[in-house]
Amino acid sequence: MIELAVEHLSLHFGGLAVLNDVSLHVEQGELLALIGPNGAGKTSVLNCISGIYRGDGAIRLRGQDISGRAPHEIARLGIARTFQHGELFAQMTVLENLLAGRHALIATTIWSEMFFLPAVRREELRHRDAAEKLLSFVGLSRHRHTLVGALPFGLQKLVGFARALALEPKLLLLDEPSAGLNRSEREELARFILRIKDELGLAMIWIEHDMQMVADLADRLHVLDYGRTLGVGSAAEVLSNPAVIAAYIGTQRSPDG
Amino acid sequence: MKDAGSSDLALFGTPARRIRLAVALVALLLLPFVASPFLLDLANQVLLAVIGALALMLLTGFAGLISLGTAGLLGAGAYTVGVLVREAAAAFWVTLPAAALLGAILGLVFGLPSLRLRGLYLAISTLGLHFVVVYLGGEYEAREALSTGVMIDPPSIGRFSLTSDIGWYFVLLAFAALALLISVNLKRSRTGRAWRALRERDVVAEALGIDVHRFKLLAFVVSATMTSVAGALFAYYRNFVSIDAFSLYLTVQYVAMIIIGGMGSIPGALLGAAFVMLFPYAIEAAAGFLPSRFGNVVFALDYAAFGVVMILFLLLEPAGLMGIWHRIRAAFAARRATSAPKSAPGSASGSAPGSAP
Repeated sequence: MIELAVEHLSLHFGGLAVLNDVSLHVEQGELLALIGPNGAGKTSVLNCISGIYRGDGAIRLRGQDISGRAPHEIARLGIARTFQHGELFAQMTVLENLLAGRHALIATTIWSEMFFLPAVRREELRHRDAAEKLLSFVGLSRHRHTLVGALPFGLQKLVGFARALALEPKLLLLDEPSAGLNRSEREELARFILRIKDELGLAMIWIEHDMQMVADLADRLHVLDYGRTLGVGSAAEVLSNPAVIAAYIGTQRSPDG
Repeated sequence: MKDAGSSDLALFGTPARRIRLAVALVALLLLPFVASPFLLDLANQVLLAVIGALALMLLTGFAGLISLGTAGLLGAGAYTVGVLVREAAAAFWVTLPAAALLGAILGLVFGLPSLRLRGLYLAISTLGLHFVVVYLGGEYEAREALSTGVMIDPPSIGRFSLTSDIGWYFVLLAFAALALLISVNLKRSRTGRAWRALRERDVVAEALGIDVHRFKLLAFVVSATMTSVAGALFAYYRNFVSIDAFSLYLTVQYVAMIIIGGMGSIPGALLGAAFVMLFPYAIEAAAGFLPSRFGNVVFALDYAAFGVVMILFLLLEPAGLMGIWHRIRAAFAARRATSAPKSAPGSASGSAPGSAP
């Protein structure tokens, strides 16, 4: 079943065409890798899906067009994301970051919060339990009260994942999660992405530069270059596509040129 | 897990905290019976300032929204009382909710620019609130030919009216405690987390499902309501309202409270309020040691010293008094941790742990 479909998406900043007629879809439980050289428009696709940018074209979540909605409404519909540079709330604890991620699921009113009425206490405890489960899923339980800004970079990445998962999404958008990680951290990340896919059954759109990881993990690849789709398919198909090779390595000059 | 969660939510979980709270409560309850009238008046002023400082801390310290509207909002609350008492002889149970309502409306209106503006530009736009209130208040005083402001009778229920400073102390203590309770509870629940999230990264907060516009406006409304009620209490406490009391310098004092106390910290708001309210008296006392020919510069000295203190905090201790307190506590903890195991083996090298400056 198709979770999300992007149809004929175009995006312009002034005269600059960032995305040009991009169409893609991702199915339930599928891991779609979005690859392409720097500046190809990968992050712009995610930003359009999560409503931060407004492009032309339709974005359908389980058939329903969500383009034009505010980012917080789109998040509420079950689309969560991580950010390229983590973008965590550094001055909040790990647990508070996750609870902020669950904001849309917590049903308390400001009036009852002012006096921390029993209903608020119950709701807080319920969501703290859910956040604790997630913390043990990512192995961060003992850091629950640590300020995120004080954690090493690799652990901050995990907090970013956990914060996105805290929303209990149907679709997860991952913006280059391996950036800045070393070899062993990347291996851990790979295992982690597979666990999210297998144990939680989420659809994922995953921006990645590490071709080895992509070839190992992704169900399908979608290649962008200069805002256009260059190719779609399995790793073997896409990575042998001459147009894709040209975009990554450059075209071969003819000897007489 | 359940137990860890509930103990996290307990405000006074540990015995040490409970003892500290009990000591503080007893001290606060006994204070008016031992304090001189002068000190009691000072305590009441601090309690009023605490409400305004907490309100500004919610807005600026939590939600990261800068406002220079505090004096305007205090004035709006005070004038609500003044006008309603003078025109309709309204009782406090009418005037206080009216002041709260007006504060909420003003917060909503002057919070609207925050949806587009940020930082210094937002600060300038909230100045508009200040000048509107000062202008309207001045017009009212001029039209009614009230050269010294509006006189207000003390609030009363039946035959009892609140006139004694001790009575006021307990009333203001209750209001300050209520403001404190609301601030603490909001900070640790959904709304407070949304405010802190949008202060740090508003685009991310929005992508996580937080309606950033709504929570920005909510911060302005809650903060302005609290400030306006503080202004109404101020009017009753002083028995009159005059527009001269709500200068821009008053706003600067409140901004100083949350900076000096420590941005984002609730105890910081309390410390900052006390510090700023007591500071002029400390300067006055210090000036007493100066030769008498400097006597006429005490007022200028107060302003200058206040400015210097503000600059020093901004440059040297952005985390404010709470930052200093945390460092002292950490230093003591480190000293205890290093000295305890060293003393046990009784080593000859038992040098004192390197004390940080």
